[in-house]
Amino acid sequence: MIKLNEEEKESNRENDFIVQFKDVTKIYSGTVALHKINIEVKRGEVHGIIGKNGAGKTTLVGIMSGIIDPTEGEIIIKGKKYRSISRQRAKKEGISIIPQESQVIPDLSVVENIFTPDYIRSWGNFINWKKMYSKIEKVIDESQININPYARAGDLSISEQQLLLVLKACFIDDAQVIIFDEVSSSLTKKDEEVLYRIIREQKKKGKAILFISHSMEEILEICDLVTILRDGKVIAKEECACLDKNKLSYFIVGGEYNYKEHEVGEESGKEEEKESNEIVLSVRNFTKFGAFQNINFDLKKGEVVGLAGLRGSGRTELFKAIAGIDLADKGWIKIGNEEKRFTDPAQALQNGIVYLPEDREKEGLIDILTVRENLTLSSLPRLLNKVRLINLEEEKKLATTLAERLSILTPSIEEELKKLSGGNKQKVLMGKVLSANPIVYLLDEPTKGIDISTKKEILKIIKEELSRFAGIIMSSPGLEDLILICDRILVLYKGEIVGEFFEDKFKEIDLYRAVQGVRDKFVENN
Amino acid sequence: MERRTKVELFLLDNLIWLILAGYFLINALVTPRFFTYNNIINIFYHSTILGMLVLGQGLVLMTGHLDLSIESTLAFAPGIAILLTTKWVLGLNPIIAIILTLLIGALVGLFNGYCITRIGINAFLQTLSMLIILRGLVLYLIPLAIYGLDEAYIFFGRARTFGNIPVAVFLMLGIFVLFDFVLKRTPFGRYLLATGGNARASYISGINTNKSIISAFVLAGLLASVAGLLAAGRQNAVNNTMGDGMVLLSFAGAILGGVSVSGGKGTSIGMLGGTLFLGMISNSLTLLGVNVFIVYALQGLLIFVALVLDRVKVKAEELLFRREMLKKLGISMKQD
Repeated sequence: MIKLNEEEKESNRENDFIVQFKDVTKIYSGTVALHKINIEVKRGEVHGIIGKNGAGKTTLVGIMSGIIDPTEGEIIIKGKKYRSISRQRAKKEGISIIPQESQVIPDLSVVENIFTPDYIRSWGNFINWKKMYSKIEKVIDESQININPYARAGDLSISEQQLLLVLKACFIDDAQVIIFDEVSSSLTKKDEEVLYRIIREQKKKGKAILFISHSMEEILEICDLVTILRDGKVIAKEECACLDKNKLSYFIVGGEYNYKEHEVGEESGKEEEKESNEIVLSVRNFTKFGAFQNINFDLKKGEVVGLAGLRGSGRTELFKAIAGIDLADKGWIKIGNEEKRFTDPAQALQNGIVYLPEDREKEGLIDILTVRENLTLSSLPRLLNKVRLINLEEEKKLATTLAERLSILTPSIEEELKKLSGGNKQKVLMGKVLSANPIVYLLDEPTKGIDISTKKEILKIIKEELSRFAGIIMSSPGLEDLILICDRILVLYKGEIVGEFFEDKFKEIDLYRAVQGVRDKFVENN
Repeated sequence: MERRTKVELFLLDNLIWLILAGYFLINALVTPRFFTYNNIINIFYHSTILGMLVLGQGLVLMTGHLDLSIESTLAFAPGIAILLTTKWVLGLNPIIAIILTLLIGALVGLFNGYCITRIGINAFLQTLSMLIILRGLVLYLIPLAIYGLDEAYIFFGRARTFGNIPVAVFLMLGIFVLFDFVLKRTPFGRYLLATGGNARASYISGINTNKSIISAFVLAGLLASVAGLLAAGRQNAVNNTMGDGMVLLSFAGAILGGVSVSGGKGTSIGMLGGTLFLGMISNSLTLLGVNVFIVYALQGLLIFVALVLDRVKVKAEELLFRREMLKKLGISMKQD
């Protein structure tokens, strides 16, 4: 069957290719991001790209959309050969990209965002607002997305902002090639369906679609064809129809991987009863208006508590309020027999609470400093000698130990942090909070944006190392990670705890309904 | 990493000292009267005042801010201290005048730092206003200059020790070495760099970033007042135009010395190199009889060169890493 399909396609090949990569290589200082990549994007086809973090997905997308210059190789657009393409060239050839993190201009309206910078003009160079308004209304009708075109873009939810960019790329720019760079990671379930619908429609219109994703389910659902990248090389190109999760994960991770083994929590969780009854943190009536209300819970030593909830449900805000970064309005927390509310993170740290931020680039790490300096940043006070100078030997020892324990891949701990790949940066961040030796860890999406095998390692570290002397609260965009390692899961919906689930009663479907705010079944669990 | 790459990286990191050595050698050969004991002492001596400003500016740059007011502080701090001890309140000990000088410098810095961190004023505008306010006050309070200072007050700027080496040179070298130590070995130094590298991440990591920034401004003010003390000592007077225009050179020295304009990077020893390079250039050009204004223009050009150099360094570093990678790739391909 498949062979036949292949031959059919063979006949009208060259014409249908809009973009072709030939032996494209990209070398960054320190790493080979792509190594002799060959890839084709074809009209009327949804082409998936999947791979671990650091496999080269972002670089590939960057080159195709003209943001990154390749080191070597050829890019062929509609038969014309290019050494590299500029952003302008890409745009002219109708290549449009929807980036991973939504990049709307918050203070402009939805309409302005959609048309910037190519406003409809008339009378020479004057912006014709009327025409733009009527066009946007038509587009919104056609796409059946429920967005108010006159709203301020910054007031939309993250998910809606992302959809806004999808609209722009698909309907306004009239792109031939549309690149979706892990777009669905910030979409709600409902908006995800909208996205899939739009992609299918665009496909029917004969557009070429490149769909980059972390999630195997998603790739298998929406793509016709998938290219698997590993370590900057194309490992395989397969029709999605003849793939399943097992096979796909085999390609992504390489030889020895087995999907079942992925469930780290099972064996390690039951090996010993680490839990004690000592409560390390109590949160009472914690409220920050507009973010979360009346949060009450206790955390025991050795316990891993999951905090599930959609984006915007108040997870990050709650963490930040506990850690004293953004202040709460009401309520208090109790740690070490004292009721208090921290007003800055240094205070929280002194009292044994450490926060791992969701945004590792902006809030977590300092990319101009070395790996060593980043690892020990929160624990310098412990590394002083008698005259209060940093004990460089001790510091080096600590950094080396952490790097080994977390198997951080770096040529040396004296390397600048920015030269590391995303997954390794995440491990450095993990090492940093680990080195602070707290009694409460607040881990805000510790598995965000990392590949499966790194994720597995990090989950294992959380379950086995961190929980030995401390209590842990962690959040995650998906439920899978929480179900794997948590002893208890709290569900946050619109700033309130709407459900509490215990390890023996984890049912993905119930949890999922709670997260979406469906109030029925889980009441009995409470 | 290969040995060769390592050596090359080391040289890149200490590029300013390489340039300094090259420039020194050329001048030793071409410029008359350059390679003499007295002239070399002279280069050091004439670098001391600027050196203090470069170091102060560098510390502030490391936190991701800048301080334009240091050149006015240079005149303001000794000016007010001398007026206080000799005109307004008579007969105070000159030692008190020295302490007052340093205190006033630190207070100016504290005020700058406070306004920038607590009130949230942009550093450029805050220090620009201080630059003008302080200079205006100095011009008003000191019509031309105050001559004839106390022996003890001019000691640091004027006195010479063995080998005819000025005390100021030892003071400068001592301060640079001290700060090298502070930046490398104290949590304070580490926090300063971390704050400049990423203030938000530093704050979340439990660093008091406001304290780091305020401290940098206080140190800049303090070092500017030390520069003022040295300048007053050298002229045996407090002149109302003292330090005028020097803030631009302080940027040049710091950037030449490898301080990143966007914060998070820099070493004290590098800044010393930058200072000495600026001093050596003006010294050699003067010896060659180049017009003063041309020397000034050339120093301006140096600021530009420093900025280009900073970019070139980054590119060169990338190139080195790439070569290393290509080599690795070549080997791994053979193994395949």
